[in-house]
Amino acid sequence: MAWTRARRRWAWALALMPAALALVVLLTVERRHEPAPLGTPVNVRLDDFHVRRDVAVVPAGPVSFLILNQGPTTHQLHVIRTDRAPDKLPLQRDGLTVNEDAPGLDHLGEAQGLDIDDRRTLVLRLAPGHYVMYCNLEGHYLGGMYAALTVR
Amino acid sequence: MRRSPSAEAGAASATQRRAAGGRSGIGRLVPRLPILGDLHLGRRLGWVIPVLIVLVTAILGYNARAIDQQRGSALVVTIAARQRALVERYTKDVLVVVDGFQADPKESGAAVRQPVDVLLDGGSVRAPQGDGSRVQIPPARNWKVRRKLEQDRRLIDELIRTGDRVMDGGRADPGYAAGVTKLRVLSAQLSSVSNDAAQEITQQTEASLSRLVRIEIALGLLSALAALALGLLLRRAGAEQAAQFRSLVNNSSDLITVLAPDGTITYQSPSVERMLGRRAADLVGTALGDLVHPDDQHHVNISLTELVETPGATANLGCRLQHEDGSWRHVDSICTNLAYDPRVNGLVLNIRDVTEQAALRKSIGDLYHNLARRSQGLVDLQLELIEELKRGEVDPDRREELFRIDQLATRMRRNAENLIVLSGVEQRRRWSEPVPLRDVVKAALAEVKAYSRVQVAGIHDLTLSGQAVSDVAHLLAELVENATSFSPPNTTVQISGDPAGSGYVLEVEDRGIGMSDAEVVEANRRLAAPLAADIAVSRMMGFHVVGRLASRYGIKVQLRHSWFGGVSAQVLLPAVLFASAGERPAAAPSAPAGGVVSPDPLLPAEITGSGWRQRAYLPLRRHAAPAPNRGGDTDAPAEAGEPVE
Repeated sequence: MAWTRARRRWAWALALMPAALALVVLLTVERRHEPAPLGTPVNVRLDDFHVRRDVAVVPAGPVSFLILNQGPTTHQLHVIRTDRAPDKLPLQRDGLTVNEDAPGLDHLGEAQGLDIDDRRTLVLRLAPGHYVMYCNLEGHYLGGMYAALTVR
Repeated sequence: MRRSPSAEAGAASATQRRAAGGRSGIGRLVPRLPILGDLHLGRRLGWVIPVLIVLVTAILGYNARAIDQQRGSALVVTIAARQRALVERYTKDVLVVVDGFQADPKESGAAVRQPVDVLLDGGSVRAPQGDGSRVQIPPARNWKVRRKLEQDRRLIDELIRTGDRVMDGGRADPGYAAGVTKLRVLSAQLSSVSNDAAQEITQQTEASLSRLVRIEIALGLLSALAALALGLLLRRAGAEQAAQFRSLVNNSSDLITVLAPDGTITYQSPSVERMLGRRAADLVGTALGDLVHPDDQHHVNISLTELVETPGATANLGCRLQHEDGSWRHVDSICTNLAYDPRVNGLVLNIRDVTEQAALRKSIGDLYHNLARRSQGLVDLQLELIEELKRGEVDPDRREELFRIDQLATRMRRNAENLIVLSGVEQRRRWSEPVPLRDVVKAALAEVKAYSRVQVAGIHDLTLSGQAVSDVAHLLAELVENATSFSPPNTTVQISGDPAGSGYVLEVEDRGIGMSDAEVVEANRRLAAPLAADIAVSRMMGFHVVGRLASRYGIKVQLRHSWFGGVSAQVLLPAVLFASAGERPAAAPSAPAGGVVSPDPLLPAEITGSGWRQRAYLPLRRHAAPAPNRGGDTDAPAEAGEPVE
């Protein structure tokens, strides 16, 4: 059987196809799916060392915290219900982080490990009351990374 | 017959040109590997091999680069993790200094700052192995890492400024407590940011490793495919070549025969059926000698035995092989000793049927022979006539002229005899009795024009076997003619003799213009292996005649450079050519049957009944003046016995 030019080309194309397929599979990146916001949206911007929100008062019910970490380091966002002032939260024994288990603090939710430019949506059903949002990495809360939110 | 310009010109091998060319494009980039050259795969593999080489190079290069990068990344992670300890140490140093203990916060601060600067801007750090060596760290390229490290540096600057204020104010300062708190907070933030940066670097490293693995797998897959393609092509090409080789062997008109060292046929190509009418399978295991003509078996055995003793040697062999129908086929074969090659382990004979050429050569030889015989007969008649004229002539001038004519006719007869020799027909004239060697030399001189320039010295008192007398005289005459023709007329040609271990050596030495080394080599080659009649033979007939005559009796003739500037021709007459002590020399021969012998050895020979005329010394005897200058040998030309037809 003589190997014509066209036959050789096809043979090589068939041989290379599995390799190309394997490459595509290996190099496919994991896709991320973000849920659509529910309830009242609250845009939260995190940076060193501040928590900024676009609204201070929201209606009771489902609240979507649309979080964006603007860096320049990794942050987290905790949401607690408390009657304490945002800068008077109880600390752990090390004096560097908030004691989330302390009485008077009702921990409702959190978004951990927000890298630079990461976006995360945290949906909580909030009853009327006072809430505090803060980052609880070492020194971040003490550096001023907290904000109050009132739900009516 | 010598010093003729060589017509042979070295021609570039077309095969080599084809081997050098024939590849185009990227195929030319492929190294000419011996195995590929043998298989002629360059055209097919021309692009597969470069692809394979590129892939392997990419794998190796990427591995080297990745290993280097990972080594640096591991060190960077270590440096980032160490940051936290350095920050805590600085904070403690500030506090203990305030309390009056000895410490150096400035050095601690510089130590805190230095790793971040290196990670951000690049530089060298001490190797973690602790051997004192330093490792070069490249600047961080990832933007996330850079942002985190820049934040780290800002916090460190603020930490150091705060530490300075605390140390400056001391415990008495109202802002001392706030300063210490800020130090702790900054320290905690730095710890957090440092961990963050280290984690980021770790993630980058892991991502890089993951990418490396993916690329390695991809390259490995491609390499495997290329290797698979290479293997398939090699296999296919090998199969094609094997088929081509089988086809060539099966359809070739030549025979390929492999002989074991004992002469048994171990392989026989199928084409033997066409040439000899025998099946190849039937011949395997039989002896080649069973097919060889009985007259050829001796020299075939000798040639093959000599070949077996020399690994790698090649020899040409001509013989007759028997066809299945009983006829004989003339064959020429090229034999190569490949006994040392384990793939062959024997002698390889490439045998070609030359029966038609042999018949053609024989018919040409017969033509030569018939023409030469006619010429010889006419010349003999001419010599008889001249002889009669000389007998009746009394005028010395006329006799001298007749003598010249007589000698010219003698040389013409030698030329005719040369043709007979080249035709391959043996001389019919044989001497029945041995003849003194001196007389044979004299007989040779009688056929040379310039015999007066020849000096004969030191020829021993030996007698030559009668059957070789005529041809040895002819051989010597050719050599002497050559020596006198290619040396100045005022020089002499020396003939001398000396016993040798295996016979007797006659040396013909001239003082002529000599020959180049290449000419001597070529002449000796022709003397050792005279060719069949062709155009080259016509140009160098003397050497071929000498070679043919020498080969009849096992005589060895070799040319050498003479110390006097000319050429020395050495003729080794084997001992078997010399008569035993009991044989009578032909100087006083007995009359052979049917022949007439001159009663006086110094008298001219008479014409025999068969028409053969005694050669040689007749003119010398008639004319004392032109007798050869013999040096120490003062004997007159001797008579010889009568040849028999």
